[in-house]
Amino acid sequence: MQATFQALTDAFVPSVQPEYASPFHETDMGVHNYIILSLNHNISIQQQLNHHIVPLAYPTAIMLNSAATQLVNHHQAQAFPQCLFPGGGMFSHLSRKDRIRTLAALGNLDIDLYVLPSPFQNNAGMVKYVTDALSRFSLFGYYSEWPAYGSTRVLPPDDRCLEFFPLTWQQVGYPGVSLGYRDFRGFLLTMAEVKT
Amino acid sequence: MKTDPDVIVIGAGGGGPVVAKELGELGIRVLVLEAGPWYGNKKWHEPNENRGITKESSNPGDLDGSLYRQQLTRLENDMNDPLSGKFRWGAADRRRTPWYRNIPDRALLWQSAGIGGSTMHYYANSPRAFPEAIEEWPIDYEELIPYYEKVEATLPVEFAPTVSKEALFYYGAEKAGFSMNQTLNVTSSGYRPQPNAILPPNEHLMDPNYSMEELSHMEGCTLSGHCGQGCPYGPSLEKMAKRSTTVSYVPLAMKTGNVSFRPNTFVTKVLTEYSASGKREATGVQIRDTWTGETEELRATVVVMAAGCVETPRLWLNSDLPYNPWVGRGLTNHYMDMVTGTFDEETLMEILGSRSVNPFIGHTSGGRLDYPGLGMIETIGESPGLSAQLLFGFSQYGYNSLHGSASDMWDQRGRLVGSELEKAMEDYSRTLTLSAITDDEVQFHNRVELDPHITDEHGKVPCVHYEPSKKSKKRREQLTKIATDILRQAGATKVHRTDLPSNYFIHLQSTMRMGYVVDTTCEAYQVERLYVADNSADYNALGGPNPTLTTQALATRTAELLASKYFT
Repeated sequence: MQATFQALTDAFVPSVQPEYASPFHETDMGVHNYIILSLNHNISIQQQLNHHIVPLAYPTAIMLNSAATQLVNHHQAQAFPQCLFPGGGMFSHLSRKDRIRTLAALGNLDIDLYVLPSPFQNNAGMVKYVTDALSRFSLFGYYSEWPAYGSTRVLPPDDRCLEFFPLTWQQVGYPGVSLGYRDFRGFLLTMAEVKT
Repeated sequence: MKTDPDVIVIGAGGGGPVVAKELGELGIRVLVLEAGPWYGNKKWHEPNENRGITKESSNPGDLDGSLYRQQLTRLENDMNDPLSGKFRWGAADRRRTPWYRNIPDRALLWQSAGIGGSTMHYYANSPRAFPEAIEEWPIDYEELIPYYEKVEATLPVEFAPTVSKEALFYYGAEKAGFSMNQTLNVTSSGYRPQPNAILPPNEHLMDPNYSMEELSHMEGCTLSGHCGQGCPYGPSLEKMAKRSTTVSYVPLAMKTGNVSFRPNTFVTKVLTEYSASGKREATGVQIRDTWTGETEELRATVVVMAAGCVETPRLWLNSDLPYNPWVGRGLTNHYMDMVTGTFDEETLMEILGSRSVNPFIGHTSGGRLDYPGLGMIETIGESPGLSAQLLFGFSQYGYNSLHGSASDMWDQRGRLVGSELEKAMEDYSRTLTLSAITDDEVQFHNRVELDPHITDEHGKVPCVHYEPSKKSKKRREQLTKIATDILRQAGATKVHRTDLPSNYFIHLQSTMRMGYVVDTTCEAYQVERLYVADNSADYNALGGPNPTLTTQALATRTAELLASKYFT
């Protein structure tokens, strides 16, 4: 499962140079873990006495591999003989572009929904919701402060603490939490002016 | 509160605390029930970690600005993660999943549980409705004006200061042929600063003799750009710069001595009885403590539903109240799109005198262009994670790398991945993003209903269905083109169009419409003593403007009418 989500973030987000990826040595700064956490922290339902979390990460990994297999079988994608992410399924055998094609096919429901695992089987709304969320989670995980929670990043939110300044914030020129900026250029209009 | 309150208000978001403050000032005793946590109250020192030392708070002395500042960390993942952020639709305990809403599509529905509700993350944009949109309502625009004025003075509302991104926007809007609209009552198209519920910048903001640390403890906006993360800057809780109801109407309500707020309390049912005259009337509510699961019944003379556009109809339906085909129906959304222009340093130098826009500076949304008949265009400058997610990670168009933009108007369209995403984010500090937000048409098929199969701890979960009308789609297209033109006129060298999915929800409205579910006083036609005081009572989408001010004006009016009917 881990490998499938690594293949996913590898297609979505820019790869971090190994020298910057420390201390975790992951070119996606561990964002695939953020996706797994998010998918497993999404839905809970009540059944008699039990309040169940519906874990979505594992069935999502199966869905991605199943969709990739369908694309390969229909010659819409080409599988490399070797697995690019050890332990992964068919999705990890595809080029980045073909992985994006697979996600596009899922998002457009251009696949056989019957062969997908529960809760996705013949459930177009759920397929569209989760496939879309994969992209949002990847970008939010990568460009927010999440990777900088470092060794505490997979803990419950209230147990995390920032261990360093987020690399992506540095890259994009965002100074992080700010007390304020001296960029006041005056008022174009005031309430006093419109009330007279 | 040892005896039954006179009024129970369900929800402490944009509307509920307004009703509470107005009734409290009239000597009416109010209990406000809120499903989420309370930030900035000493009774809940660690509001996400334990249930605190009491169940409710009515003493303004419990409010603590430094605690608020410590809890609102201004970190976008910590605050705004829709699944586990402090501002999410879910219980205070973030180890738990959010409360589920079934939206069977590409979807993101921004709502926040907690004292302050969605005003915790809103940008405090407080424009009035377009008068022409209120003409369709069963009440007149003129009748709303005194209530608008009262809310504008109470919050208070002031036009946003100009910072770089607004200066660039006004420049582009002017060059695109628009002129400034110097009014609160908009009848023609034009640009203007956002009327925002944010205190004006401190007069010393530009004075280097005052450190930013000092200024952040003084009264007034510091242009920190943390509107969406709550903005806890100010000398005390009730003087925080961004006027979420948790720092405006909630303290004012508590100061009346008649209002108590109870967080961590989910209302699962509205209780009713038949009156002597045979009419169904509200008598109280059934609640569930979100930490302990304990349930209780609470009684009151009047019940006000202010739980938001999804939960208010859900609560009606889960309470087995009388059938009304319009409950949950007619949902409007601020169906929108976003365009992002990238500027080169020379152009910016010429227009702004600086080499960057730094969109994260200033009010998150400080400039607007009103366009009656279509909707509105707003500036938006979010932090990098939220920007990347919404601008480049969420689209109905698909992937730019597979399709290109398929139009001369936009250089890129839809989702960006890999190196093209990297490039777009590298340019972040030289971008200006505009939201094109549609005057969405009311459609009976757009709705909140109960999911027939899925139940959570509070009953059947809501299922949200939304498909914009042809007219709404056309309006969005026109507005997106106007926004693109403004960016080009301002000198953008590259424009990216997000093409957001239609099930991106902000400003949900009109699921308990006036004239259909509630009467012109916002009392339910079929259940006496039951009122609605949130966006769901709106007859339509106001012509496009952000709805909070109108909800607050209407809530002020509703409190007055309710008091005169049942408490004189």
